[in-house]
Amino acid sequence: MVDALVVADLNKSFKTPAVQGLDLVVRTGELYALLGPNGAGKTTTLRMVAGLLAPDSGSISVFGIDVLKSPLEAKKVIAWAPDEPMLYDRLTPLEYLEFVAGLWNVPPALAAARAEDLLQTLGLWEDRNRRCEGFSRGMQQKAALAGALIHDPKLLILDEPLTGLDAAVARQVKDLLQARVAAGATVILTTHILEVAERMADRIGIIQGGRLLAEGTLDELRTRTVSQGGTLEDIFLELTGDHGAPGA
Amino acid sequence: MLRGTTAGLVFHELRLSWRAALARSGGGVRGLVIICSVILAFTGFAGVPLGYVLRHYQLPISRLTIILSDLGLLAIASLMVSQTLSTATESLHQRGDLDLLFTAPIPPRRTLAARFMALAVTVFLTFALMVSPLLIPVAIISHPTWLAFYLVLASTALGAAAMGLALSTFLFRLIGARRTRAVAQVIAAIIGASFFLVSQVNTFVGKSQSQGIWAQAKALALDESFKLPPGADIPLRAMIGQPLFLLGYTLGAVILFFAVSSWLGDRFAADAAMASGADTANAPTKAQAARWETSAFRAIFRKEVRLLWRDAALVSNVLLRTLYLIPLAYLVIRSARGDTGLVLAAAAGGLTFMAGQVAGTLAWITISAEEAHDLLAGSPTRQGIIRQAKLAAAYLPLVIFLAPLLAYLVWVAPVVGGFALGGCIASAITCGLINIWYQKPSKRKDFRRRKGSSWFATLAEASVAALIGLATTFATLGNVWALLPSLLAIGLMMLLRRSEAQIALALED
Repeated sequence: MVDALVVADLNKSFKTPAVQGLDLVVRTGELYALLGPNGAGKTTTLRMVAGLLAPDSGSISVFGIDVLKSPLEAKKVIAWAPDEPMLYDRLTPLEYLEFVAGLWNVPPALAAARAEDLLQTLGLWEDRNRRCEGFSRGMQQKAALAGALIHDPKLLILDEPLTGLDAAVARQVKDLLQARVAAGATVILTTHILEVAERMADRIGIIQGGRLLAEGTLDELRTRTVSQGGTLEDIFLELTGDHGAPGA
Repeated sequence: MLRGTTAGLVFHELRLSWRAALARSGGGVRGLVIICSVILAFTGFAGVPLGYVLRHYQLPISRLTIILSDLGLLAIASLMVSQTLSTATESLHQRGDLDLLFTAPIPPRRTLAARFMALAVTVFLTFALMVSPLLIPVAIISHPTWLAFYLVLASTALGAAAMGLALSTFLFRLIGARRTRAVAQVIAAIIGASFFLVSQVNTFVGKSQSQGIWAQAKALALDESFKLPPGADIPLRAMIGQPLFLLGYTLGAVILFFAVSSWLGDRFAADAAMASGADTANAPTKAQAARWETSAFRAIFRKEVRLLWRDAALVSNVLLRTLYLIPLAYLVIRSARGDTGLVLAAAAGGLTFMAGQVAGTLAWITISAEEAHDLLAGSPTRQGIIRQAKLAAAYLPLVIFLAPLLAYLVWVAPVVGGFALGGCIASAITCGLINIWYQKPSKRKDFRRRKGSSWFATLAEASVAALIGLATTFATLGNVWALLPSLLAIGLMMLLRRSEAQIALALED
């Protein structure tokens, strides 16, 4: 089976190097958590995968499609959801989904059915005709997530999807992501909540200074550290030498 | 340190305004150099000669000069009130900022007084910048006391801030927070255009010849049945630096400002707290059947039209610009039936210029003020489709307004109509292209503070639209000189042009 994402020798610099020689493979149907301290290069990497940022060198392939050579083909199967919800204040959730479905050319009947299903699942159906400008952070995040899922992406890339969400909404989002993975989609997410990565991720990658320090299942990561049997937090701190929490 | 004092708060507000102004110079160093060059050139070629011309001239205090100065100040005051009303209403809804200030142990009245004082300073500086290239050389070369005009401007700005505060509070009490937001923007637009519209009354009432302000003021001055109201000479005497009148004018404005801010400050603070807490903006939209689009172009076009229509601040800005088009349009209709070739040609040129300006403003909104830039960039939609849809949405209000007028013109005077139609299309397309080349992603809400795009793009748009307008005027008159501005416009566009790679690089920066 072709891998969902293959990144090889990826480099990107702004004023200083952000990503340096990064190699990364995410298998189809897994939930992959990318962790790292602030400024580690996680968001830059994901933005390059989503086709939002051109790398200086290296290659990115999504389900065998070369993102750099065929960006539009790759974007058809990708959904990108950043930490700040990509919403329009003056559109309602339903109008927003109409718009996003149009961008991905989702057939109208299918889009209507998916929109209702997503809004019902995420508890936004009652608010479907209210403009997003007065929504709480959690509601905005859910509306944005519905937008990301309306075209049924094969690869879902989420940057800090749980930031600012209360426990109930966070649970809804986590359940939805696990349901997507169970249905065969691939999810890559960054998070600063290590417990989420520990409990949800099939594999975890730890990145620092634009380089991948380690990756594998939680058990595999444990075997590579001195503190064998420790928590993900112990592993993370040992690998990164960082005594702060992982950030965006 | 000025912590918590009125001066400290004013400084904080001014610093924010200054940084916003700096951020707005989207052309970077090149843009600033162009703006400074224009100001210096204007100072050198217009201000300095004017200073020498006026060296031995003593301004008479006559009926004519009094009427002219009063009218001028009235025009400035109407624009200032328009700006302060718009900003005052917006500050009712700027939740984060006011919540922070209101939770500080500072009387809300002081916070608001400082905000409005800073607003007055900003408004004053805008107008001061405009008059300086003429006023400073004149004051240095011939009439130093005319520098008093700055004090008159500052006092007028203070009075306008008080008016803005009073009007927004009155509207809030009368129609509630949510409606105030939309209605105040429209009223601000009408106030802003009011002086211009009133000055065009003769055009509307059908007098045979349209009269300029000068001619109207002269007629009024010669009309002995017209009595000047008491105190009508105070602004003129204050402007030329007569100390007592200057003091009186300034004191009057200061007293008005502090009286209004003391009287309404607490009320405004309460309104602001209510506005931000009442979830005013989140009224349910009228439920309608969903329309699932079958193409990216249609989806983007529909989204842009919805957003344009739902933005009260934007609607008022477009309204303000289209209000300026009305007298021009009326002039075109009247002249097309008569034989006033020069007036018709000038009006066709004016329409062309304004078409470019409105198109430029709307194109900036749809292209640069994209709230979910990454969503579009991450979608499998070609950039060309995205831009076409956005420009189509930007041109829609313009087409709705201009199409009937141009169709009428083509029918009544085919040659003039043809040139006007061509000019409007060229002007709108070029201004749209400039906005694509110099796009600068920012939040749509920033539009309210910036009132447009970067200085550089705005200046470029105005220059190209003016050249095309001039070409249209000459072409309408059948004058071969139409070629010169046309070629200059083409040359300017070639200079401004950016490749896809350059646009991408600028966006990445």
